[in-house]
Amino acid sequence: MTLPVVERKGARPWPPRASAFTKTFWDNLNAGRFTTVRCADCRRLTFPPKPFCPHCWSKNVAWVELSGRGKLYSRTTVHAAPAAFAAETPYGVCIVDAEDGFRFATAVLDDTPPDRPVEVVLLRYDDGPLFAVRSPR
Amino acid sequence: MGRALRDVAVVGAAATPVGRIQKNADEDIQVLEHETLAGVAIDALNDAGLKREHVGSLVFSNPRAYTKQLYFATFMANYLRLPARGVVMEVLGNGMTGGFAFDQAALDVAAGRSDVALALGVSFELGIGSAEHMMRSMRATGDVDFHVPFGFTPISWYAMDATRYMHETGATRADLASVAVKNRRHASLNPLAHYRDPITLEQVLAQRPIVEPLGLFEVPPRSDGAAALVVTTVEIAKSLKRPYLRLRGRGFHHEGAHQISEVPNDMTAFAAAREAGKDAFAEAGISAGDVDVAELYAPCTIVEILVAEALGLVPRHKGAKAAVAGETALGGRIPICTSGGCLSRGHPPMVTPLYNIVEIAEQLRRRAGPRQVKGAEIGIASCELGNYNAALVHVFEAAA
Repeated sequence: MTLPVVERKGARPWPPRASAFTKTFWDNLNAGRFTTVRCADCRRLTFPPKPFCPHCWSKNVAWVELSGRGKLYSRTTVHAAPAAFAAETPYGVCIVDAEDGFRFATAVLDDTPPDRPVEVVLLRYDDGPLFAVRSPR
Repeated sequence: MGRALRDVAVVGAAATPVGRIQKNADEDIQVLEHETLAGVAIDALNDAGLKREHVGSLVFSNPRAYTKQLYFATFMANYLRLPARGVVMEVLGNGMTGGFAFDQAALDVAAGRSDVALALGVSFELGIGSAEHMMRSMRATGDVDFHVPFGFTPISWYAMDATRYMHETGATRADLASVAVKNRRHASLNPLAHYRDPITLEQVLAQRPIVEPLGLFEVPPRSDGAAALVVTTVEIAKSLKRPYLRLRGRGFHHEGAHQISEVPNDMTAFAAAREAGKDAFAEAGISAGDVDVAELYAPCTIVEILVAEALGLVPRHKGAKAAVAGETALGGRIPICTSGGCLSRGHPPMVTPLYNIVEIAEQLRRRAGPRQVKGAEIGIASCELGNYNAALVHVFEAAA
């Protein structure tokens, strides 16, 4: 599936580093796909993607596409921000329990409260991609 | 190796009042971290009635990045002119740093590496503004490539604890804010506290939001401080003929997660504090109900509530109501953070755990004056890192 896209002016306030391994995640995201790795031995997911499985320490992992849907577990709106985020303040951040069975943390673009559904969107900045969640449209 | 561990005591404690100590970089006269700390170390040793020749180990909390002197421990061994055959080292463990300094000092004494050990440190950060400071502190929580790009700050995680707790328990923001009012009342009685003017619930609720639902008075102030503890054997402590603290129990737990992992859990359960508390109480042979006074590392109102619940000092999901009812205030069933805690005593993070033990030392030696918990026999100190992903709990008993 292809993620909804939200255009953002300017550069990312804190661009993530990519390794030879995590570059796949960011390239997939840029192409509208939300992905991580699943362990070929114990079958569990990990997120953020790692070149091994933290659950069983197998190095036998493979990329899989995620649904991009889940439920908001908790959230806050940040009013006192690090200098690099001054232009975006206030902004929302949250924890999401994905329907694929894992938890992750990201930005939240609206007022979605706990236990309500959210969808992952691609944030397309001038210098590269990030992701966020919002109430499903 | 193979020697039996020795019983450990705390016989001396000293600290500088928490507050704005560090000067801005452009001021002509600076306050130097080592001058401040040396004074506190000497005060602590005098408090113990011991001499510098007795000291065999120096365990420092790692200073913040905003002071200049690097290789601080070995520099201080020279500055204090203190040859040592136990250990001279700095420890680092985020919010747990000062707690690890004490833990290592206690271990040195228990293991017989030295008869007297100092656990000490200085934490200065007010020479730099908050927005710039957060550019560094944001890199200490979560994942620098998968969380920091969204703007998470250390206290944003605690704020999410608050949102979830309110959602699950029906507690209100005013319930949480009562902790800030209570701690300020405690701090008004503590000469070491950063903020001492009493505040009302209305004032707390009227502050500007910082990380919703928490406002300015519900999150930690930024503070400078320096503290030192003198650790020795119970045998030596007895010979000093003055009140001391006997270390009765210790527990540590890291849950193998940093803020969050991908495995969904009950975020507000603070499992590491629960496990560390269980181990510390078991070693001490006590239960949570035996604790007379608790000095908890709790940077935000919600954190004090959650760690008190995790340690079993108040029932799960009832911590906010217990705070509102005054159970955790001086004069209540289980006084928590009689120093004023991180919120009002102040929060120089690298040494906050040392200040917490300083307060327990004051309480158990009956020197806390107007904030004395009457008849306090058992006191505990906790510290943490992350979102209480790891916790270190020490149980102390009053002795003489």
